[in-house]
Amino acid sequence: MALRRIVLSLAVVLLLVAGVLPVAVMAGRSLVVDGRLGLAAYHGLLASSRQWELLGNSLRLAGLVTVAAVALGVPAGLLLGRTDLPGRRALGTLLALPLLLPPSVTAVAWMGAAAPSGPVVRLLGAGASAVLSSFLFGLPGTVLVLATAFAPLVMLLVAAALRSVPPRMEEAGLLVARWPAVLLRVTLPLVAPGVLLAAALVFLMALGEVSVPPTLRYPVFAVESLTRFAAFYDLAAATAAAMPLVALTAAVLGAEALLVRRTRGTTGMESRGAGRALVVPLGRWRRPAAVAAWSLAGLLVGLPLAVLLVRAGGAASYAEALGRAGDALGRSLLLAALGGALLAVVGFLLAVLAWERHGRLWAVPDAVALFLFAVPAAVLGVGLIVTWNRPWANVVYATPLILLLGYLGHFTAVSLRLSRASLELVPAGLVEAARVAGVGWGRRLLWVVAPGAWRGIAAAGLAGAAFCLRDVGMTLLVHPPGWDTLPVRIMTLAANGAPSLIAALSVILVAATLVPVVLLGAVLGRREVLP
Amino acid sequence: MSLLELEAVRVVLGGRRILDGIDLAVEEGERVVVLGPSGSGKTTVLRLLAGLAVPAAGRVLVGGRPAAADGRLLIPPEERQVGMVFQDLALWPHLTVAGNLELGLRARGVPRTVRRQRVAEMLELVELGDRARARPGELSGGEQQRVALARALVLRPRALLLDEPLSSLDPPLARRLVGVILRLQERLGLTLVHVTHDREEARALATRTLFLERGRLSG
Repeated sequence: MALRRIVLSLAVVLLLVAGVLPVAVMAGRSLVVDGRLGLAAYHGLLASSRQWELLGNSLRLAGLVTVAAVALGVPAGLLLGRTDLPGRRALGTLLALPLLLPPSVTAVAWMGAAAPSGPVVRLLGAGASAVLSSFLFGLPGTVLVLATAFAPLVMLLVAAALRSVPPRMEEAGLLVARWPAVLLRVTLPLVAPGVLLAAALVFLMALGEVSVPPTLRYPVFAVESLTRFAAFYDLAAATAAAMPLVALTAAVLGAEALLVRRTRGTTGMESRGAGRALVVPLGRWRRPAAVAAWSLAGLLVGLPLAVLLVRAGGAASYAEALGRAGDALGRSLLLAALGGALLAVVGFLLAVLAWERHGRLWAVPDAVALFLFAVPAAVLGVGLIVTWNRPWANVVYATPLILLLGYLGHFTAVSLRLSRASLELVPAGLVEAARVAGVGWGRRLLWVVAPGAWRGIAAAGLAGAAFCLRDVGMTLLVHPPGWDTLPVRIMTLAANGAPSLIAALSVILVAATLVPVVLLGAVLGRREVLP
Repeated sequence: MSLLELEAVRVVLGGRRILDGIDLAVEEGERVVVLGPSGSGKTTVLRLLAGLAVPAAGRVLVGGRPAAADGRLLIPPEERQVGMVFQDLALWPHLTVAGNLELGLRARGVPRTVRRQRVAEMLELVELGDRARARPGELSGGEQQRVALARALVLRPRALLLDEPLSSLDPPLARRLVGVILRLQERLGLTLVHVTHDREEARALATRTLFLERGRLSG
């Protein structure tokens, strides 16, 4: 049992050091101005009408993005997770892609669509450029890009929640009503906690997004924290500006947990996972639904990608792009691989902690990881710098270790949740049989639990790698000299690089992201074989 | 004409023959109990009659009309006038007891006042008149069983299908529920099809007992 305590404690400590410590240090640091303890930084912040205006903008943006993402993601999740829509797996992969790309790449693609020299304007005529630009630059365009980027999160969480609805509940509904009524009155209320979590996460991710709003010229509060740090190195002001976002994150997740707890008593699904999930036959609506879903996916995902491909041009652009950013691509892939592996291991161990309900605080790491996932990346970035920018900590601060720490702090929730879901599929009897046979905890974990949950662990690593690969907000701030990644390089070059170069780099990033996505699809698509 | 019929029904699941050409005819007002060991296909018989499963070959008839045949569903479950109590009850946890009973009435467009009256009557019949506002999670095991029974009966079905609803109850509670079922069956003139592996239960409920083993039904 000593081994179990040591290993699981180590995983918890890693999460605390990677995520909680930076946020805590930053909170403390925001209270120190010119060596004196006080709230001076907050006074400055609260007194500024500009800050209140920015906070209002942020809340407006996050609210609209949440509404749009839920409106797109819930029907998409239902269509993909419950119906016989033709080609739903390919459609799911296409729709999920924007979540795994830096939203700034999607913004670049849409800017290409609106550009006077872009393929869309050439197709629609010169007048279209002004109309598209006036829509794109400002609130509507920022909502479009971020809703496209975050709707897949809603879609995936709804699809996952649907898998946990006991088929018997829906069958009992089918005895008395048709599918639309059953979906509305039985299925949707049962997946409501999943929708609520997705909405909370989307709201917080939109609130903390720092790459799209400045690109599309919509001023928001999160960029303020970044600017105060990057432009003026004003640590107290930067940390004070970050703290409202941390407080909002805690408040939104707290409210979400409270709401879910209130409904959990009413949605505790006793016969969870019993039997095969039901499929809603679309009947005569199958073809129109497929046409509508594919058209929407084509418009929201296919069109921006096509614009990037067209604007990138020929092989010369790609050669130049690789010449200018080949090193950044290599670093991105290396960091994504290392980050993914680290996330898979730590996420698995924390999932085991929750699965075994070990100790009194088994649920805490999951809640902490979720909080750190929702905290804006730039905020975590500032926290990491404040924590590790010390002479004795150069081995972390001046090396890629700081990036790996940041990825661990920010993305553990992804790997933890995926591992946890697969652990639920490991029959308790297998573990108990090994225990009765005298197999120790460590060996049980390696010989029985991990092989039973390998799909989830692999998926956790690949999803973790994809999230590391897409990160901009934190990497932009904390990367040591010479360790910028491809998304960061794209963002820096976007200011004054040639459109064809930026488009080619974006296409290369999309291709690099597709590697873990395709592997993920292959892993999740394989049939689970359990004894 | 029988109320419920299976004709040469074959069901294959995952390459295994669950039912191998069985015939069954249930007459109006009968109480048929199908006895069989776990995994013998008892639940599948009920699912075929309810319309939740379709036979790979053979026919299902309800009130003399073909309801499913050779892999095709001809009458959907909600039009068959059968109620079913599932083994795990499958009460909707997000709805109150009254909400569980009302869902089917709402789907049929029954006016609100009529709906409320029918729900109240049905809850009185199963002695749960004071529990209408409770959620399933707040009820005892026996109360949950009676809610499931009331939900299956509130639409006034011609037949009631029972999938081992007593298996999780202790003997005194199970005996009490048998009494409730028999009383309701007599009062509402129901046809019962009950599946179980428990001979005591079969003896208490059946006017006719059938045995299902290795996919075949015998009298």
